Amino acid sequence: MSEQSKDVCDPDSAPQASNSEVHISPGVPGGPSQPASQAATLAAPESPPLGPIEAPLPSPPPQAPSEEGDPKALQQAAEEGRAHQAPAAQPGPAPPAPAQLVQKAHELMWYVLVKDQKRMIIWFPDMVKDVIGSYKKWCRSILRRTSLILARVFGLHLRLTSLHTMEFSLVKALEPEELDRVALSNRMPMTGLLLMILSLIYVKGRGARESAVWNVLRILGLRPWKKHSTFGDVRKLITEEFVQQNYLKYQRVPHVEPPEYEFFWGSRASREITKMQIMEFLARVFKKDPQAWPSRYREALEEARALREADPTAHCPRSSVSED
Amino acid sequence: MGAPRPRSPRPAGGAEAAFLPGPPASGATPGYRAPSCTQGGARRAGIMTDVHRRFLQLLMTHGVLEERGVRRLQKHCYRVHGRTAAVEELEDFINNINSVLESLYIEIKKGATEDDGRPVYALVNLATTPVSKMASDFAENELDLFRKALELIIDSETGFASSTNILNLVDQLKGKKMRKKEAEQVLQKFVQNKWLIEKEGEFTLHSRAILEMEQYIRETYPDAVKTCNICHGLLIQGQSCETCGIRMHLPCVAKYFQSAPEPRCPHCNDYWPHEIPEVFNPDKEREAGTSKANKKPSRSRQH
Repeated sequence: MSEQSKDVCDPDSAPQASNSEVHISPGVPGGPSQPASQAATLAAPESPPLGPIEAPLPSPPPQAPSEEGDPKALQQAAEEGRAHQAPAAQPGPAPPAPAQLVQKAHELMWYVLVKDQKRMIIWFPDMVKDVIGSYKKWCRSILRRTSLILARVFGLHLRLTSLHTMEFSLVKALEPEELDRVALSNRMPMTGLLLMILSLIYVKGRGARESAVWNVLRILGLRPWKKHSTFGDVRKLITEEFVQQNYLKYQRVPHVEPPEYEFFWGSRASREITKMQIMEFLARVFKKDPQAWPSRYREALEEARALREADPTAHCPRSSVSED
Repeated sequence: MGAPRPRSPRPAGGAEAAFLPGPPASGATPGYRAPSCTQGGARRAGIMTDVHRRFLQLLMTHGVLEERGVRRLQKHCYRVHGRTAAVEELEDFINNINSVLESLYIEIKKGATEDDGRPVYALVNLATTPVSKMASDFAENELDLFRKALELIIDSETGFASSTNILNLVDQLKGKKMRKKEAEQVLQKFVQNKWLIEKEGEFTLHSRAILEMEQYIRETYPDAVKTCNICHGLLIQGQSCETCGIRMHLPCVAKYFQSAPEPRCPHCNDYWPHEIPEVFNPDKEREAGTSKANKKPSRSRQH
């Protein structure tokens, strides 16, 4: 649950990515044995800076005790890089007042909410750079507090969806979710456009060539060269924005000259949109029963059943990190 | 991003007690009672149920929402959770939620569109400079373009800044050099994201921007800022008295002079020379049908 986010603050447990139940252990986090691979895994310009963070809330933790030895210090130095030159042996700077940690947690909460609102990726290094800043030593407690607030007030889980890319996402903890589409119906223009393309890809069973997509969009009166009053630059929207938000993948078709591109479902679409939704959309658009596409409908049923079995209480996205 | 980050003073300690580690909230947490706020004990503590949580989630997704949409949202949330209890009065519902949000320094703020007085709601953060909300969407030079446009709008007499005047400032922008053609598209992006409204080649602030940035604007432009004589809120568009110079929002004018036979300035008592607009009537809207409601956001006056 919200425990997972601790994994990130603790680079040493990175190998145990699949183990989501890491508790905050007051002891030394395991395995100083792979400092090199750690650094490699977490190689990013803003490398997640955290040295080991020990004690749980609310008292901020002391700096790592020197018993960890040199590999740890090496790794810490390598990762933290710049100004934060505290070697493992020294005690850290004075812990901030609890009120400041609380304030940081609130800022982080808002940051995460806004990122999610704009459908942007919540990237851990960004979180540290933009919000946590010099409090990165206490990032674990800040993260935990933020997760708690989000769960209690918004009913959202801040979940680490991919340790590898250090991405978080906000997952709804309330069910059922599908009905929210009704409430969000005034965002339908975007969703409708997206669903149109996704359903085309789905029905084809493989990637949809860009030319095929434009044939379909022509029915809606959309052309690649024309600006639309709602969508604006449609081509930019589908080839850049939707791709950036991970709803679509836009790839060059191999071995084809002159170059052609095709669309695939993006990872976010696979997470958020069920096959059943696509079938219902198709049924609405073509005024046919979803069972008019028997093999697809079967697939959709299968998927729906698998989802229900996987998590009977709440609709959970298919993420690599398991929940509760 | 080059933006100043003034922080509003916060009470030390805050309502920290609310968030001590307790039973983890997995799935539905039936009732979470927030402590009464530390500042004004007059507000009663709110109870947070799944209905309220879903409402908050969806409101956040929309960004800004008109009152009619908000009511629909509220009903939807009640329905989803199968509550047959009577839907709480919207104002109480929102106050309830706000009492919980208070310690987080966020709030569901109610405002009104400046041209026709439609009530709008948005979830806003009271503590940070709101330009930072846009900061992750836009590049440094785009943010600076917005700031320049904002200044022009605030300084203007009508509350509108012409496209030409904004574009002429393109050379002064921080960050990467931007051409006028580019700047035009960036302005359209602002319109699509509901930060600005365009009307006949001129730009003014969207009600969302006003809701979210009111504090920031007051703090940053304390001398240039205009306020309404009636509601004392930030004023971008409005009518002004030609004798004494006080200003009023159009919907405030409508309400104030609603049944007055002869409109007179509340300050200097001189004859009010402008046309008195009508008070916004939500029922009339509903009669007009859905076509009006689903107006496209860009390049439209209604918002």
